[in-house]
Amino acid sequence: MTQFPDLTSFSLEAVLTILGMAAVTYGMRLGGLLMADRLPQHGRWAHVLERLPGAVLISVWVPSALSAGAIGIAGAAATVITMAVARNLFAAMAVGMVLVGVGRYFIGN
Amino acid sequence: MSRPGQTENQTENAPEKSPQTGHFDADTIRRGAIACLPLLPSTIIFGAVLGVLSAQRGLSLSELLFMSLAVFAGSAQFVSVDLWRETIPSATIIIATAVINMRYVLIGASLRPVFRGRPLWVKVSGMHMVADENWAVTMTQKDLANPGFLLGGGIFLGVVWATGNTVGYLLGGGIPDPEVYALDFAFTAVFAALTIGMWKGRVDLLPWIAAAIGSIIGHFVLPGTWSILAGAGAGVLVAALTWREDMDADSLEAECAVEGREAYGAPEGITDATPVTETGK
Repeated sequence: MTQFPDLTSFSLEAVLTILGMAAVTYGMRLGGLLMADRLPQHGRWAHVLERLPGAVLISVWVPSALSAGAIGIAGAAATVITMAVARNLFAAMAVGMVLVGVGRYFIGN
Repeated sequence: MSRPGQTENQTENAPEKSPQTGHFDADTIRRGAIACLPLLPSTIIFGAVLGVLSAQRGLSLSELLFMSLAVFAGSAQFVSVDLWRETIPSATIIIATAVINMRYVLIGASLRPVFRGRPLWVKVSGMHMVADENWAVTMTQKDLANPGFLLGGGIFLGVVWATGNTVGYLLGGGIPDPEVYALDFAFTAVFAALTIGMWKGRVDLLPWIAAAIGSIIGHFVLPGTWSILAGAGAGVLVAALTWREDMDADSLEAECAVEGREAYGAPEGITDATPVTETGK
């Protein structure tokens, strides 16, 4: 058996850095929610907030599809179309990933 | 793995306004975890890749696991570990983390309906385990208002992520290249697919186009993950500009009016403002 690394080895510097990272990340997660709670429940702001998740989601995957090149764009398109038709997350992911995997194998990036 | 993630008919409990489920029901937590199951292979592989990188950069396994559970944000962790040296550049790492994770302000804001009517302690304890993946899966649920579902996905992803970290750290290499099996594309694919589930009607069209264009421009002219903020900002701006009095998000009439334009002939907003002859077209 290989020996398992000591799970109690922490350097103070590392712990403080990680706590700093955790504080800013958690602060933004909770801060975003608490700020949204203060916005009105109706009218323009509520409408904007309703559109927000879609806008964030699109902005997450569109650039990463572009980074994956032509095959990435094709894979993303195939995923979206499969989801729109079949309404099945697993099937949509499988179609996109198989297309990208096979495409990379035969064509390269 | 092939069981359907979403239950289609959740409408038997009609009242939607006040939360009728508990804050963190065991059953809801389990459903949230199951819904994130398709992400298991890619999360574990990427966790392992981070583990390998951490071993090379001199983090101890305990420090890595502490980071994975305390920060719980994959892309920020990759950049941070990559910046990690014997003398840790703490300020650089924390600033980089803040910049990469700035999208969580928007993600947190968009979770308002999930936490509607819940006490502060539920928000405080529910907002930690929020990654892009369980957030997206939660937002596309029909009976969305439930912090337990979100937490369940978060716990599942956290456990898988930390397991991957440990495996990669101990193996110190020999992890299959995620690109060969398109596992890197799994995240793109899941977000692209879930976008379909977020479609609420034609009001989404222009903000979404704006978000896509904004993020594409951001991708080419801005560094790192700023493209997310560029796209989301463009989407928000267009959503604010296209809002009209008669499309109040919470009113059912507005939703029907948007969805049912063809079915009911002239849209309501136009009939009272324009002469009758216009409605015939």
